[in-house]
Amino acid sequence: MNRALRRISIAILVMFVLLLINVNYLQGFEPASLTSKPGNSRAFYAAQNQYQRGSIVTSDGVTIAASKLSTDSNDSIKYQRYYPLGPEYAPVTGYDTLYSQTGIEGAENSLLSGNDSALDVRKVIDLITGKTTKGATVEVTINSAAQAAAYNALAAGGKPGAVVALNPKTGAILAMASYPSYDPNLLAVHDGNQLIKNDNELLADKTQPLLNRALQATYPPGSTFKIVTSSALLTQSPSTTINTKFYSPTQLTLPQTDHVLTNDLGETCGDGSGQVPLITAFAQSCDTTFAKIGMDLGAPALNAMAGKFGMNNPSLTVPLGVAPSNYVIPPSEADTAFSAIGQFSDTVTPLQEAMFAAAIANGGTLMKPYLVQQVIASDASTVQTTPQSVLSRPVSPSVASSVGQMMRAVVQDPNGTAFGFNAQNEGGLVIAGKTGTAETGTVTGLDDAVFTAFAPYANPDIAVGVIIQGGGYGASAAAPIAVKVIQAYLNTLRNQ
Amino acid sequence: MSSITAPSPTVDPTGPMVPVARSRRRTELIMLVFAVAVTVFAFANVGFSLKGKLPSGIVEYMAPYIVMVLIAHLAMRRFAPWADPLLLPLAALLNGLGLVMTYRLAAQGNLLTAPLSSSATMIQVIYSALGIGCFVAVLVLIREPRVLQRYTYTLGAIGILLLALPALLPASISEVAGAKIQIRLGSFTIQPEEFAKLALAISFAGYLVAKRDVLALAGRRVLGIDLPRARDLGPILAVWAVSLLLLVFESDIGTSAVFMGLFVATLYIATSRTSWLLLGFVMFVVGAFAASKLFAHVGERFDIWLHPFAGQNPSHNAYQLVQGLYGMASGGLLGKGLGGGQPYITPLVQSDLVISAFGEELGLAGLMAILLIYGLIVQRGLRTAMLVKDPFSKLLAGGLSFMLALQVFVIVGGVTRLIPLTGITTPFLSQGGSSLVASWILIALLARLSDTARRPPPRPIQEEGLTQVVTLK
Repeated sequence: MNRALRRISIAILVMFVLLLINVNYLQGFEPASLTSKPGNSRAFYAAQNQYQRGSIVTSDGVTIAASKLSTDSNDSIKYQRYYPLGPEYAPVTGYDTLYSQTGIEGAENSLLSGNDSALDVRKVIDLITGKTTKGATVEVTINSAAQAAAYNALAAGGKPGAVVALNPKTGAILAMASYPSYDPNLLAVHDGNQLIKNDNELLADKTQPLLNRALQATYPPGSTFKIVTSSALLTQSPSTTINTKFYSPTQLTLPQTDHVLTNDLGETCGDGSGQVPLITAFAQSCDTTFAKIGMDLGAPALNAMAGKFGMNNPSLTVPLGVAPSNYVIPPSEADTAFSAIGQFSDTVTPLQEAMFAAAIANGGTLMKPYLVQQVIASDASTVQTTPQSVLSRPVSPSVASSVGQMMRAVVQDPNGTAFGFNAQNEGGLVIAGKTGTAETGTVTGLDDAVFTAFAPYANPDIAVGVIIQGGGYGASAAAPIAVKVIQAYLNTLRNQ
Repeated sequence: MSSITAPSPTVDPTGPMVPVARSRRRTELIMLVFAVAVTVFAFANVGFSLKGKLPSGIVEYMAPYIVMVLIAHLAMRRFAPWADPLLLPLAALLNGLGLVMTYRLAAQGNLLTAPLSSSATMIQVIYSALGIGCFVAVLVLIREPRVLQRYTYTLGAIGILLLALPALLPASISEVAGAKIQIRLGSFTIQPEEFAKLALAISFAGYLVAKRDVLALAGRRVLGIDLPRARDLGPILAVWAVSLLLLVFESDIGTSAVFMGLFVATLYIATSRTSWLLLGFVMFVVGAFAASKLFAHVGERFDIWLHPFAGQNPSHNAYQLVQGLYGMASGGLLGKGLGGGQPYITPLVQSDLVISAFGEELGLAGLMAILLIYGLIVQRGLRTAMLVKDPFSKLLAGGLSFMLALQVFVIVGGVTRLIPLTGITTPFLSQGGSSLVASWILIALLARLSDTARRPPPRPIQEEGLTQVVTLK
């Protein structure tokens, strides 16, 4: 039997040698290809949780996302992400779950997690000096006072909507609030089952709290689009001034249809002569006047100007992705008339609303909006700074000045649609803006309220876009929110 | 080959011509201290890695372990003084590493499923105590391995019954992860197959030692191979049928392979007839192939093995295997260190895929060391089989050693994608009591067999000085 035992021994030896060879192949030669498999989350988790993740802070130093040591002793992940101000900053920070990141957490993930190659030299220095490597801190352009004013005003109104405020001179995003919002802390939990439960609840919520309306939702601009129509008009015929009179009927029958366009409540524009100065038509937001101007300009001219203001651009990032605001060339003249007053298929994001005002406020030069001011490594050195750049020059300084004057009339002229919201010019503050009340086509709901504004008129520091879904009149629902954000921001500038 | 068939102890170039038999219990104690030291160090390592300090349970978990191992050693001194000195230290080291890994996995939970309960380590310590208790009991109760031969048919019946039991019971108390392999009594579960394998190993040895002369008779010669006579095919066909039933009714391919392999290997050792080996191998492969075509759950195993990264496999059927492979890949040559990897991502990492957790945290180096520990145990068993005189003991030692080797091959080969992955336990390392207790009983049987093999013959009654040695020419 020993002969058979020897042979069995050889068979066993072969089995073990096969195992050893296979294990050597697997762990000695295969790791590179296995690690790069798309489904392999180990490297991702390891990299994600290797260092203490960097914080996200506002430009005035308020921490809006940070990582601390996890207090749960059973936790497989060392650091717990938390968001001190939760819903208010959710559109900015996004969230950092076990599996994915959104918002700034996603856009700047490699720097926050400490894995970006830009941090390599500092990691070597940390290794030599014995310091613990941490992720980089991302400083966003948000002003905490403007952000608080924006979110609180939205929450007080209780209607879904969003506010974006820009520094018109630089493009820096000063506020970006969306309502209803969510608490990103709910998605930062490390308990996988709890995470899935929280995520499903947020996804099932009919009010869509996860939607960042400021960048990702589009609404009809309504009459705020008259900024684009006016810009196209003033650019096309240099002889036209804001005092040039235009045809302004109470009723405008649209070509090739029997559809009759009236002003909002069928009211008469100006002095009733049927001819009004452009500035009066703008301040009173006469639909018939601008519908006629739009038809005369033609859809291609409107389309070109809309594009220069930043619409029809699917590749805009701040660095968060921005849904494109659309001007669709209408198939008929009648539809062109509607498109000239911000109806038909025109849609804009709240960011785009702020960009309308920002371009006018900055003398016709539209700065590219950006959200990240700078990225600072754990050794306090700056890793990168977002350079200011010009996105486009939609209008000349003189046209910008003319449109600006008309926007001032909207708020300052006793007949202006937004007169009364800052008529006293408290503290010498003069605001210029444009209201919009967009019919959404829904039978029951109120119209969307839209407002775009900049201030101070003489030397603008802030441009704001507000859209309140189902808010009704832009003047009553959206303008007060814009004014609060403007005042909050200018107060912080004054106190500096 | 040289590592398996070690030089015969009768040839000791440094010693005197007439070998002085030594019990070598001192060697066992020294090796045992080494095994315990490695375990305690590894346990401390987990604590430092995860919490930055000595783990709070180090005394609570390690003290009972050390006491148990010492009791086992004392039992060896008392009841099996001539047993192989490496068997106990090797088993103690594997058991210790299993405790360390259970503690490590319980301390840091899975992201998606609930972590192991905090009492998992203590339960595993209790199972270890139970295992070592059984080890001592076997040494005390079975003083002579040949007595087992008397129970050939009793143990055979018990083995078959234990194997069949889960299939006969309703799925609610016998199904786990799609395979019907356990008996659940409240929160307590037993995997009867672990004990069935031992009973059948003894039964096969007893049966074949009685029938081997008949089975060794040659039938027709085909292609240079002596085929057995058709009338002798009965036993192998019966075992084949049972193993296929296991495959189909309990979805338990791994155990089926180990069971069939055990029988064929014992049959071959008994008869020295290569044809039995070939026949058994061909029968199993044909059976498994047919089952893979006929039954979806068997076919799925093959698909996972051949195409783990194809289509939906990585996130569905092959998720467990693929995650285990990712874990071992992330471990690389030297591993992430105990507590440094992410083995908890892999489902069921504490039981079927525990070897991938070792691969991830101890790396290729650690995994090879563990494989060599298994290899050494098998080698000690085979050496015992060579040394022991009695044919039944020879068959039993050879069968048990082969079974252990085959089990390691099936599970480690499955996890490392050498062969299709089937859910069987990794001896000593997997979390769970049945496997641990059965493994300790297996070590006790090998220890008893080696004690018999190495025990020096009784001294002659006469004083040597009074005896006249006459050489006849």
